[in-house]
Amino acid sequence: MKLSSIRKKQIVAVSGLAMVGFLLAHLSGNLLLFKGPEAYNAYADFLHSLGPILWVLRLGLIGAVLLHIIFTVLIVKENRQARKDRYAVVQDHRNERSLAVKLMPYTGFVILAYIIIHLLDFTFADKTTIINGVDYGLYGLVITTLRNPLHAAAYIIAMFSIGFHLSHAFQSVVQTFGLSSEKSRPKLMLASLVFGLGVALAYSSIPLYVVATFR
Amino acid sequence: MAKDKIINVTLKVWRQKNAESKGHFETYDAKDVNVNMSFLEMLDVVNEDLILAGKSPIAFDHDCREGICGTCGAMVNGYAHGPDKAVTLCQVHMRSFKNGETIVIEPFRAKAFPVIKDLAVDRRSMDRIIAKGGYISVKTGNAPDAHATPVQKKASDLAMDAAACVGCGACVAACPNASASLFVGAKVSHMGLLPQGQPERKQRVQNMVWQMDSEGFGNCSNAYQCEAACPKEISVDNIARMNRDINRCGN
Amino acid sequence: MSLHSKEPSGPVNEKWESHKFDMKLVNPANKRKVDVIVVGTGLAGASAAASLAELGYNVKSFCIHESPRRAHSIAAQGGINAAKNYPNDGDSVHRLFYDTVKGGDFRARESNVHRLAENSVKIIDQCVAQGVPFAREYGGYLANRSFGGAQVSRTFYARGQTGQQLLIGAYGALMKEVDKGGVTLFTHREMLDIVVIDGKARGIVVRNLRTGKIESHSAHAVVLATGGYGNVFYLSTNAKACNVTAAWRAHKKGAYFANPCYTQIHPTCIPVKGDFQSKLTLMSESLRNDGRVWVPKKKGDKRRPSAIPEEDRDYYLERKYPSFGNLVPRDMASRNAKEQSDEGKGVTETGLAVYLDFKEAIERLGKDAIKARYGNLFDMYFQITDSDPYKEPMVIYPAVHYTMGGLWVDYNLMSNLPGLHVLGEANFSDHGSNRLGASALMQGLSDGYFVIPNTIGHYFAGTPGALDDVSTDHPEFKKTEDEALARINKLLAVNGTRTVDDFHRELGNLMWDKCGMARNKEGLEFALKRIPELRKEFWSNVKVAGDNEDYNQSLEKAGRVADFMEFAEVMVKDALEREESCGGHFREEHQTEEGEAKRDDENFSHVSAWEFTGVDSAPILHKEALEFVDVPPSERNYK
Repeated sequence: MKLSSIRKKQIVAVSGLAMVGFLLAHLSGNLLLFKGPEAYNAYADFLHSLGPILWVLRLGLIGAVLLHIIFTVLIVKENRQARKDRYAVVQDHRNERSLAVKLMPYTGFVILAYIIIHLLDFTFADKTTIINGVDYGLYGLVITTLRNPLHAAAYIIAMFSIGFHLSHAFQSVVQTFGLSSEKSRPKLMLASLVFGLGVALAYSSIPLYVVATFR
Repeated sequence: MAKDKIINVTLKVWRQKNAESKGHFETYDAKDVNVNMSFLEMLDVVNEDLILAGKSPIAFDHDCREGICGTCGAMVNGYAHGPDKAVTLCQVHMRSFKNGETIVIEPFRAKAFPVIKDLAVDRRSMDRIIAKGGYISVKTGNAPDAHATPVQKKASDLAMDAAACVGCGACVAACPNASASLFVGAKVSHMGLLPQGQPERKQRVQNMVWQMDSEGFGNCSNAYQCEAACPKEISVDNIARMNRDINRCGN
Repeated sequence: MSLHSKEPSGPVNEKWESHKFDMKLVNPANKRKVDVIVVGTGLAGASAAASLAELGYNVKSFCIHESPRRAHSIAAQGGINAAKNYPNDGDSVHRLFYDTVKGGDFRARESNVHRLAENSVKIIDQCVAQGVPFAREYGGYLANRSFGGAQVSRTFYARGQTGQQLLIGAYGALMKEVDKGGVTLFTHREMLDIVVIDGKARGIVVRNLRTGKIESHSAHAVVLATGGYGNVFYLSTNAKACNVTAAWRAHKKGAYFANPCYTQIHPTCIPVKGDFQSKLTLMSESLRNDGRVWVPKKKGDKRRPSAIPEEDRDYYLERKYPSFGNLVPRDMASRNAKEQSDEGKGVTETGLAVYLDFKEAIERLGKDAIKARYGNLFDMYFQITDSDPYKEPMVIYPAVHYTMGGLWVDYNLMSNLPGLHVLGEANFSDHGSNRLGASALMQGLSDGYFVIPNTIGHYFAGTPGALDDVSTDHPEFKKTEDEALARINKLLAVNGTRTVDDFHRELGNLMWDKCGMARNKEGLEFALKRIPELRKEFWSNVKVAGDNEDYNQSLEKAGRVADFMEFAEVMVKDALEREESCGGHFREEHQTEEGEAKRDDENFSHVSAWEFTGVDSAPILHKEALEFVDVPPSERNYK
């Protein structure tokens, strides 16, 4: 089936939204870390107890990620081809720093790399972490991993990439579905920025906490 | 009235013999430029000197020189239509430049706008998009009385805002992806906002978007450079309207 | 050849309707086999090409631009007249007819003007159906404003972009037919000559501006809609590409050129600043609805306008013409500005300008209301002049704007050359010696949408041999191509020391001085002597860059200026021969004591149509007598 450019972007938008949903759920779980090992590990156990439902959610998420990547690659390829000869000088016509837009594919790459590392770090890792003879499970794994300042810094950078990505993406989704207007657009753009920044800060609070508390 | 200010500038101009050949920059000195000259008049003077020196003058698009025909346009110091807001290049005057400044002049670059020569580009891709539905299919003849269908003033005003597009292609030129979404969105909105445009509304947006895609324009990534570059300040609301209309059709 | 207008008999208000019935028709199945060439895609050309294709003709449409939407019709700002009488202020078809004949100073054909007034009503309907976003009132109905030369509000407008919006409508209709296959579009083509076979126009020869290739195109009829010749003055409000070439080449092939001396000087333009100036910018006539024109009462008063108190100002239009005030017709407004400047009361450094002041209107209506009406014009003025018209009055001066003269056509819009039809500004038709504001758009669309689709069929069905097969294999095409190429090569070979623009500027200055707003015998005779000299110098000393097989803008210009050099002569000749003042043609020898134009109906109530006899030989004058039955000639009085 032939898809118009607008439909392709809408697929990117919807799959992105699905990932944002995951991101928020994941964040709410992650923040349990502040409540201590019991609460946190209980949350992990709860997720695992979901069994097939968890797999449905996982497959859905993987699908969203794949769609997002595939269609983005298609779109970006077309965009590159649309201007083969680059300008020698080009300015930002809006006279504001819309760096987030320019960096979308790059922040996207950072996020992809991060996801792989993140899965290796936690999802596929052995979750027995014995500290002073006590198994702290996933909680312990998170602490020991993020206690390394370099590792923590990498996570924070990744989180700000996500935030940056979202700061453009959120309002972009609304526009791509044609739901923004001259009046709402500035507010949406601000909301988008606040949202992206909020997500980045909230996520970053975890490695910051770990580094500060468990040195 | 004070005496007109005179400045000297250096031009770095893109020269390209035709669509097939490779282009390059050449540097020219424009001396004793009266700041009340328009940018194109400054180029005229440079060209006169080039012709007399037996060199090839710089080809550039222009016609009405009053900002309405949409023929002129170039990237000047990285801005489509130059540094002034909401005007076409012919309306930019030399008072917008500083003495001693180097001005970089490039053609509008996009795969869908092949270079004809130097700064002149072929924008017929936009005509082909219009041919696929940028109109209301009414034959010449006995149209109903103009007052038969009242049109809400607000809708009429918004349609006029969209219809103000002069088809210059600055939106494409300024877009990081060379997308024609603002151009197409404006035409879709102009027709879609009016009662007369309703019968063909779905088919219009679908066909025009298909054609836009097949011309090799890039995709809109909502960077809103188009709106900022548009000499008629056409709003990206029109892109939103086009996207909404697409939501109502198939693909 | 005798000049017969072929206008139908009967009462003026029934002529067109009965003529439409009397004309012969082409059967729909046969139309597909008939080719029509339309040159130009402005309002007249685009509307004609679209409408003819809708009827089933095979249309080939040509334009010099890269896109048909760029024709100079787009630049018309103010509006389009129509006798709709929506405001209930006493307008009617008859009143629009009356105003146009009178506004044209009784030098137009009554029957044509009446048809124009009748069609005006349908134009608005057609354009609204096409989605032209005319200004509307809160009730959702169309808004109107007033223009010069009328005491009713009959002008429809789309912000300051009426021409652009109407052209987008016509261009849309054209592109619709391109998509359907009824129109084949040839862009970036310049018509270099017309091909005449057995006394009929059967095709054209064009240059592909991209490649330099000379191409032949044949058809059963040729329609020229190639605009006016205002650029003979170099500086005008016309676009840079506007030229007389297509019309002039047709003239050289036998079509008569009518009333070339009728040129319209628009009163409200931004004055000239310096030698580098490449074009003049019009400020819409609609500004005179709210702007007041004045000069200082004292000669050489160099105070800032705001420092000149009311009692030292002369609102000369309001003083001299109390009932029309600032809204007198264009020719009178222009001449009065020149008169004030000549008396030494002109403002700015050059002394060649008057004020157009909005202070009173801003006080009365508020800045927002003025902004809503004229915002884009004010912005444009500011961008060009660096002076803010909300605070300081505008400075304006007349500039060449429109040409009422053009190729002679009969009532069916066909020239004396069978098969050659001429529409819009390119023909001489409906405006007499002065066009009223907002009437050019009306005429272009009337010709294209409603006249030619009816009359061209009459030519095909009623002329023996008109539908005979025609092909570019005919030797006449090859011959015409060779001539066109030879001329190009000749231009390129001169390799002199002056640029094309340099020559054009000199010709323009000469024409503005001697054949501009005011003309006299001495000046015209001087010009008549000077033009051939200048032309000779052009052909021996012009420098054209590059070669033919290229996108060569210098060569394009050279060809057009070469034609202006020939055309200017017949224009001056016509101005010299017309020993009277009428409308845009003001002969200083012929004026009333108050300095108004003085017509000579006894000797000059005719159309002057010139026949070409050779570049350096005198043209032959043919006259078409004008009769005025329904609007008896009177002194044009706007007091």
